[in-house]
Amino acid sequence: MDDFGPLAGGGRDMSVAVFDFLLDGNPRKISVETRDGIFVAREGERVLEAEVRRITANELQFRFGGRSVRVYLARDGERTFVSVDGREFAVSESRPEIGRPGEGDEKTAETSFRVRSPMPGKVTKIAVVEGEEVRKNQTLVIVEAMKMENEIKTAIDGVVKKIHVAVGDLVDSERPLIEVEKKSPSP
Amino acid sequence: MFGKILIANRGEIAVRVIKACREMGIGSVAVYSEVDAAGLHVRLADEAVPVGPPPAAESYLDMDRILEAARVTGAEAIHPGYGFLSENAAFARLCEERGVVFIGPNSKALELVGDKVRARQTMEKAGIPTVPGMTSVSTSLEEFRAAARALGYPVMVKASAGGGGKGMRIVCDEDGLVPALEAGRREAKSAFGDDSVYLEKYIEEPRHVEFQVLADNRGHTVHLSERECSIQRRHQKIVEETPSPALDPELRARMGETAVRAMRAAGYNNAGTVEFLLDKDRHFYFLEVNARIQVEHPVTELTTGVDLVRQQILIASGADLSLRQEDLLPRGHAIECRIYAEDPKTNFLPSPGRIAFLREPKGPGIRFDSGVYEGFEVPVYYDPILAKLIVWAEDREAALRRMSAALDDCVILGIHTTAGFLKDVVDHPEFRAGRATTSFIGKFFPSWGRGDGEEDRERLALAAVAYEALARTSGPKGWPGRDRKKDRATPWTTLGRWRAGGET
Repeated sequence: MDDFGPLAGGGRDMSVAVFDFLLDGNPRKISVETRDGIFVAREGERVLEAEVRRITANELQFRFGGRSVRVYLARDGERTFVSVDGREFAVSESRPEIGRPGEGDEKTAETSFRVRSPMPGKVTKIAVVEGEEVRKNQTLVIVEAMKMENEIKTAIDGVVKKIHVAVGDLVDSERPLIEVEKKSPSP
Repeated sequence: MFGKILIANRGEIAVRVIKACREMGIGSVAVYSEVDAAGLHVRLADEAVPVGPPPAAESYLDMDRILEAARVTGAEAIHPGYGFLSENAAFARLCEERGVVFIGPNSKALELVGDKVRARQTMEKAGIPTVPGMTSVSTSLEEFRAAARALGYPVMVKASAGGGGKGMRIVCDEDGLVPALEAGRREAKSAFGDDSVYLEKYIEEPRHVEFQVLADNRGHTVHLSERECSIQRRHQKIVEETPSPALDPELRARMGETAVRAMRAAGYNNAGTVEFLLDKDRHFYFLEVNARIQVEHPVTELTTGVDLVRQQILIASGADLSLRQEDLLPRGHAIECRIYAEDPKTNFLPSPGRIAFLREPKGPGIRFDSGVYEGFEVPVYYDPILAKLIVWAEDREAALRRMSAALDDCVILGIHTTAGFLKDVVDHPEFRAGRATTSFIGKFFPSWGRGDGEEDRERLALAAVAYEALARTSGPKGWPGRDRKKDRATPWTTLGRWRAGGET
């Protein structure tokens, strides 16, 4: 698809709507408008001009450059899932409080890390105890989902401060599993 | 013939068997765990029986509960599908004892081939080439160490009760041995309820070629040609095809004849698959017998025209196999892609959750065996397989093009799936050239992310969401605006004269 041409000159802009989206967690700004029945979408220098037709509640047809592309959409709460040419994307409106869940470790302060599971699953093994010293990349917890074991590791050297889960617990990507405190530098 | 069959499985394979039962005029009984009450198999079966809590060990693997479900519903036979109890000889024996027909091999043959170590011994005795490895399982670390040294690293940890890549680990040096054994044992225990493992020499860059076999209860045995299953991730097949680009008629005949000989040596009946590794020099080694219907069985069905599940049921009911080897002439080319609930962008992390939208691909030569539907919540407890997309065409090139287009047409929204990744796999020049070995994914897809044209696809996705947002808020004609937001100050609420474009 090379139909996003460079910005064409001329054509007075009519009412333009600007959206701040998160696409798979990454901020994207897009502006859209219609000109003589043609839908115009613009991101930075790139512009798409297309005829858009609704096929069903979940399906749009975009026609441009002699091509017809079906785009499928499904809303689920805040997010809209979109499929283009067999690729899926999750799009949501950008709001400051929407973070990026599932990225694993989160720095709570300079001194401690909250380790999360990158996906929903069941805790099958806890490899450390509270107060234990751990080294970077050491396995802390094993979470199993769909019969696949995933070793959750620490990103820092430190001490296990708090274990929030037990073997057999179901976890998601939101809830912290373990807190690791950075070792205070020896004097 | 049976009046009623219980299907001791879930997902797409349970659906597949239920459909075969319906065609044959046989009643079907589904079983389900607590999280699967709304499963597609439960919706389609004539009857459904709950068999326990979500963990498979307490439901789908609970032999007593499954047999009790068969008893109360009066099912005369149990189809185990793949995974779960399908290769559990104790279960097959229990069925035999209780007078329920197990739709699969007899318990003795199952026990033999299910024990990978004994199977190897049997095959060696029958003069069938095998991969060098330990001839017995062990729990002694010293024995493992000695065996690994004797075989020479790299070696492979394999679960004795194994299958589907569960419990398998490649070990490159002695330091890696203990963790690999531990992980292999744990995974094997959770997948099969048996934690015995053994070591095999790791053959580098082989192809994985398997032969489908059918044998009736009187020993009449035929093969239905091969399936090439070299495209694997984590030792799990993801793309399969037949015929194999690596075989010529001479090698096919030789391997097919060996597969039939292997099954006879094992005293095998019903449907089964003999797996071989094929090395660079076209030497083949017996790997194992998969004593069940396999995930990838549809490609064989499409090229041979034989309904394998129907054949399984016929054989189990005592019918003689009517197929003769000389009549089994495959036609055209078939490919299967397994669509998993995994996120290829995050190294294939499992992606359970609710399917918000589903559009199944359709068209000439396209088959979609699915275990899910729109609105279904994919649970965390089981295999990530959602569906299988299978295509048939006159030749390999046409089949590849058909698969590529059908993957575009397969839309599953709400969870991550491997569909987009699979399209890149089937479009890859190395795969298209028919040169892929089992190291293909590691070599050409060490990671997967934004490919060619991805930015434009992303932008089109954004444009579509913007279009929808406008349609929803300004709501021109007929668009109900399901999730209309409250009067939030949004930039587009001012667009009173927005109209939907392209009504030409």
